[in-house]
Amino acid sequence: MVRVQSPAPSPADAALDQALADLQLKVLTLPKAEAEARWSKGETAAQLEPSEGSGYRLRLNSYLMAQAGATAGLVNQAWLVAQARLSGAPEPGRIPVQVESPGHKRSTNYASFLLPGLLGLNLVSMGLFSVGMVNVSYREKGKFRRLAVTPLPKWVFLLGQVLHRLTVTVIQAAILILVGRLAFGIQNQGSFLDLLVIMTLGTGCFMAFGFALSGFAETSEGYAAISNLVFFPLMLLSGVYFTLDAAPAWLQHAVAVMPLAPFLRALRAVFNDGGSLAGHGLGLAIVAAWGFAAFLLAVRRFRWA
Amino acid sequence: MVPSALRIRGLRKAFPKVVAVDGVDLDVARGEVFGLLGPNGAGKTTTLEIIEGITRADSGDIEILGLTWAEHGREIRARIGVQLQSTSLFNKITPWEALELYGAYYPKSRSAADLLALVKLEEKADAYHITLSGGQQQRLALALALVNDPELVFLDEPTTGLDPQARRSLWDVVRRMKGEGRTVVLTTHYMDEAEALCDRLAIMDHGQVIATGTPASLIADLAIPSVVELTFEGAAPDPAAFAAKLDQAVERRLDLWEIPTPDPKALLPRLLEAAEAAAVPFQQVHVRRATLEDVFLHRTGRSLRE
Repeated sequence: MVRVQSPAPSPADAALDQALADLQLKVLTLPKAEAEARWSKGETAAQLEPSEGSGYRLRLNSYLMAQAGATAGLVNQAWLVAQARLSGAPEPGRIPVQVESPGHKRSTNYASFLLPGLLGLNLVSMGLFSVGMVNVSYREKGKFRRLAVTPLPKWVFLLGQVLHRLTVTVIQAAILILVGRLAFGIQNQGSFLDLLVIMTLGTGCFMAFGFALSGFAETSEGYAAISNLVFFPLMLLSGVYFTLDAAPAWLQHAVAVMPLAPFLRALRAVFNDGGSLAGHGLGLAIVAAWGFAAFLLAVRRFRWA
Repeated sequence: MVPSALRIRGLRKAFPKVVAVDGVDLDVARGEVFGLLGPNGAGKTTTLEIIEGITRADSGDIEILGLTWAEHGREIRARIGVQLQSTSLFNKITPWEALELYGAYYPKSRSAADLLALVKLEEKADAYHITLSGGQQQRLALALALVNDPELVFLDEPTTGLDPQARRSLWDVVRRMKGEGRTVVLTTHYMDEAEALCDRLAIMDHGQVIATGTPASLIADLAIPSVVELTFEGAAPDPAAFAAKLDQAVERRLDLWEIPTPDPKALLPRLLEAAEAAAVPFQQVHVRRATLEDVFLHRTGRSLRE
């Protein structure tokens, strides 16, 4: 929080500063002009400034409401403490606050929320862009034509491709999790076996998605359009970067039956909260059903040339 | 009775702008090398790709080794070998890996080492595909066509774009295939290749078969075993007046006149006399045996190379 310096500090100002310090709020005290400059750059979440009448005014940055809202609660608490101290009354008590994720474990910061989201996004983009795009461009270049005259069935070829990408993706995920741990201290709270099960299921699903979509495009350019049409709604609406608690109910229901959201929910339940997969049977069944349907569609639409 | 290698009746395939195959009938016996000869765009490749199961025909019947695509697709694929007009493999696959990989798709396969020896690619066994020369890539494609020990092999313009030495070495491989008892069906627009390799030929033009037979019988059917050529410096003049005087058909090519004749010995003195009388400014006289090129010219009025 930024505290704008009073032109002539009073005992009330001193008492408030002391109370803020006691509540361990980080305060940056700046002259008025500097504080305003910082505010207009959007870097300040909350700014406490002297005003006529009540004595103070608190401005909150609407873009940073999570941080600003918490700050507002603490500032008001400090204000009450300072008032009591000045008048010699007993200090008001506090209800203790604790920030936690739903599984009651330790991973509470945004980075640990984001990491499973990025794992999921990695799968989707690998499925849609790497696998699907490569498939279309190989077909354009005639790399599959020679296979067309062998007895190799299409479904075996596609399944082989999916399994190949699966191996690569699991290795990629392992690297991402390792970097998360070494660089950001994010730990997997659940079992690695559960993690492997979810990742395998998700990878299979999104790889099959890519192959299915590639059957609908004649050219790489056409595929770029089709895949983006699928990718952006999936990315924005499935809780990769933020939760959808504030979205309308119909949208939440719609997203819940798309493959990415149930996948991320199960992944976060294990990775962030150390939960088991038991409660996520329905979600995983949705992911598996999408994957299976996509694979059947992929085999049906696949052309060697 | 052993079914023939290939039996095709009434094959037709139209694309939006052109009828590529227009009622083709073909019969290929076991153990022969059969050629589809024709200029670019005659429908050879489309015909071959329909037979190979890559392209679907609009109508017509195909029997391959007595089998049909509708009922025995997988068995046909297992028993035929195919070299496509261009075989696009992954850049970093090696000949050895490619032969092992494609061999794995078949119920039975020949060893990669044998095949590499057959097409003389042993020293390139571990080189990336992209580093191979055109002739080497073509030889690898040929080896791939043999990976499943096929009874019937299809080669689509196997020597197009190769230098003369590479062509000769490919011809040797094709002859060896025949020696091993395989049936070979190949397309080409080189008449010398067709004459050198094929037991029998079908000449195609505009999607139709315009003649079938052995190279020798096709040429003999022309009844003009020889051709006299007068070559000119620069473009050949109009031969109409000269032809009338000589009472003999004269074809004008780019820089020469061609005069087909059953009896060059009788024609030559007459021809030279008439040429001198008309002051025809020719440079040289050649007499040559008629070729498949002349067969094509005679049937279509156009050259194979046009």
